[in-house]
Amino acid sequence: MKLWQKPLNSHKKTMDNKMTMQSITKIVRNNLILAGIAVLIIVTSLVEPKFLTSANIENIIRQFGTLIFVALGMTFVIMAGFIDLSVGGIISLVAVVTVTLIDKVGQGPAIIVGITIGLICGLLNSFLILSSGALTQAEALFLTYGMSLVFGAVALIYTQGVTQFLTYSKTDISLFNTINSGSIGIISISFIIFIVCLLILYIVEKRTYIGRSIVVVGGNKVAARLAGIPISKTIVFIYAVSGVMTAIGTVILVARVTLASPVMGIPYMANAILSVVVGGTALIGGKGSVLWTVMGTLLLILMGNCLNLMGVSTYIQYMLKGAILILAIWLDNRKQFSEGN
Amino acid sequence: MENNNADAILKIKEVSKVFPGVKALDRVSLDVFRGTIHGIVGENGAGKSTLMKILSGVYQKDDGEIVFDGNKIENITPIQSMNMGLSIIYQELNLINTMSVGENIFLGRFGEMGGRTGVHAKARILLDSIGCKIDTQKQVSELSVSDKQMIEIAKALSFDSKLIIMDEPSSSLTADEMKQLIEIIHDLKNKGIAIIYITHKLDEIFNFCDVVTVMRDGHVIDTRAVNAISRNEMISMMVGRTIENEYPPRPNCVGETILEIKNINTKKLKNVHLTIKKGEILGLVGLVGAGRTEVVRALFGADKVHKKSIQIDGESVRINNPIDAINNGLAMVPEDRKIQGLLLQFAVEKNISLASLGKLSSYGFINEKEEGKISERQIKSLNIKTPSAKTKIQMLSGGNQQKTILGRWLEIKPKILILDEPTKGVDVGAKYEIYLLMKKIVEEGGSIILISSELPEVLHMSNRVVTICDGRINGEFDPSQASADEIMAKAFEFA
Repeated sequence: MKLWQKPLNSHKKTMDNKMTMQSITKIVRNNLILAGIAVLIIVTSLVEPKFLTSANIENIIRQFGTLIFVALGMTFVIMAGFIDLSVGGIISLVAVVTVTLIDKVGQGPAIIVGITIGLICGLLNSFLILSSGALTQAEALFLTYGMSLVFGAVALIYTQGVTQFLTYSKTDISLFNTINSGSIGIISISFIIFIVCLLILYIVEKRTYIGRSIVVVGGNKVAARLAGIPISKTIVFIYAVSGVMTAIGTVILVARVTLASPVMGIPYMANAILSVVVGGTALIGGKGSVLWTVMGTLLLILMGNCLNLMGVSTYIQYMLKGAILILAIWLDNRKQFSEGN
Repeated sequence: MENNNADAILKIKEVSKVFPGVKALDRVSLDVFRGTIHGIVGENGAGKSTLMKILSGVYQKDDGEIVFDGNKIENITPIQSMNMGLSIIYQELNLINTMSVGENIFLGRFGEMGGRTGVHAKARILLDSIGCKIDTQKQVSELSVSDKQMIEIAKALSFDSKLIIMDEPSSSLTADEMKQLIEIIHDLKNKGIAIIYITHKLDEIFNFCDVVTVMRDGHVIDTRAVNAISRNEMISMMVGRTIENEYPPRPNCVGETILEIKNINTKKLKNVHLTIKKGEILGLVGLVGAGRTEVVRALFGADKVHKKSIQIDGESVRINNPIDAINNGLAMVPEDRKIQGLLLQFAVEKNISLASLGKLSSYGFINEKEEGKISERQIKSLNIKTPSAKTKIQMLSGGNQQKTILGRWLEIKPKILILDEPTKGVDVGAKYEIYLLMKKIVEEGGSIILISSELPEVLHMSNRVVTICDGRINGEFDPSQASADEIMAKAFEFA
């Protein structure tokens, strides 16, 4: 281990070659996702002329615009070595409550209530995890899945299973319309919301005490605790962020589809986790970034879009998504294996 | 030992292995003969483990030749190496806790052994052959560490091993268990089996090894018959310089009582009462499982405690979790470095700053400039050997990892520093540095609670030794007066 202090004579050359090879593979691996995005864009735009039309690009941005918020919140949870399966339930609940409240309290207050519900759901998750002492990812998985069922059930009971339409609202829904299609110059409002959230989360991740706590807890909970890192606060924080980000995403989703169904959140759970993991955040925690998640989400949405344009059936798409998830986890484990030993 | 005797079961010729940034093995050559106990010593990072992992097929060599029992070894897997008759007993034992003894010995081979009855019958024969009386039906989780080691040995024998490699087997054994292990090793030797015995403890080399190979920095420095080498020679070969003493002179700066713990009661501990003085090193001696680690964990707020009362500087304090402990001037270097101490995937810098993060933050933001400064300061003052502060800590040797954790705690300037097995898996050179550091800490007015399985270490470094047995404090000694035997007798009182 003290070798860097000594000249490496006879084997220096082979070693240098090995090092270059390894750094090349490392660069390729770390940028696999960017390469994937580039290949997808180039190939699809050559094969499918519809891909580069403004209508399709707008479509991509909109799909991106909901999932990304859920995935960003999920990133912190996974970085800390936990998981949040309740986001599906939270979306359904926040959506129906927000839409039904517009007539009663007005748009702004309805949105605020919706985001508060997201926050409360997140706090509930963390409270359950802390009070049951569930400190493993597997336990968090089942607990939050249970909560997802609960949140979803509340949404169903609240609406009696009936889809609520934003368009039939008696009062003004201009705020939702602005969120959906408004823009400042050429930059759309929802994109600005996304950039603001991303910036805040990125700063939290890189510069703050709580951000460091998240990644440290994910890296080694026992060591973190013994070094005085507040584990409980960290858990409360990650689930609260996940709840709030999911609620923000829900508001944007509702504004786009102009309805709220008590089951609309279900597909987002898997897609959000997929985005985070494909982005390269380790499922076991301790490593990751909200920036990577942006890439992961983009790759996932682009892939879905390309496959749709090429007329590939949804069933096959499910299979491909599964394959990508497995590939992402496999690559990450391989990487840890080669670094770890 | 350079003769090409036909008795060589293992011939390693010019084997090299390179990892990114590190040359782990540099043209290593070594012969191991049938019926000999071949000790391998070297500091951490000397290349011992890498060499063993190449032999067992976990790693592949880059260069060189290995001949085992007349066959060249090329690209083998761990299973193949076992079937060839080469077994390794790792430091962290590889048994399945929820299965029985018999099932563990013949894991994955139930069919060939004739099912459940066959497995247990054959396991019995194997265990008897090494004089081990454990019931083969017993679940492994109920066994002591030494019993588990016996099971590993039986498992190695079940493969008809011609060479058994033991990687620091004594690190968690008591003196009695060690005796038993030595007997078995001798027994194996008489059966013509070769043993490679990797250790940090030089006493063991002199006690029962025939041949010793000293490694350093990926090289074999020398291989000699044990009766042809002196202890000092061996140490200077290992560290590449001469070390006058293994221990610095005992610090002598004990002041007034700073900490008093009364009535610690847990499932394991009974009415534990301890006092620590300013500038004192208090040694806590006991068997593994006697409750020594539990005492300090209770003090540090790491475990739940029914009842305890703690006074620091005469004032009662509440310590319910590690955060309270740190705020009251306590620090703890835990027993298991990898599991309880290190953030393996993180930079040295982030490992150092971990306990100081609160201090480094204002309004929730970490002052990264300051973080870099404190880690540079600790790297320098503790002489942590690392390419840079940004290097991942898993790339460092055990001794340097341990110094990093010490740096983490020294940065918060604790009044009382708890050291639980501070030199476990640490090489001779770094050990001495850690002892010097302990001396410096108490001379600057800190206090240390030292737990260690190595009695000489406790005897040489402590101002006062307390024995703990079966969850009770049962003796107090002045280590400058008491003998090791007296202290051990007390620690074994109820065992």
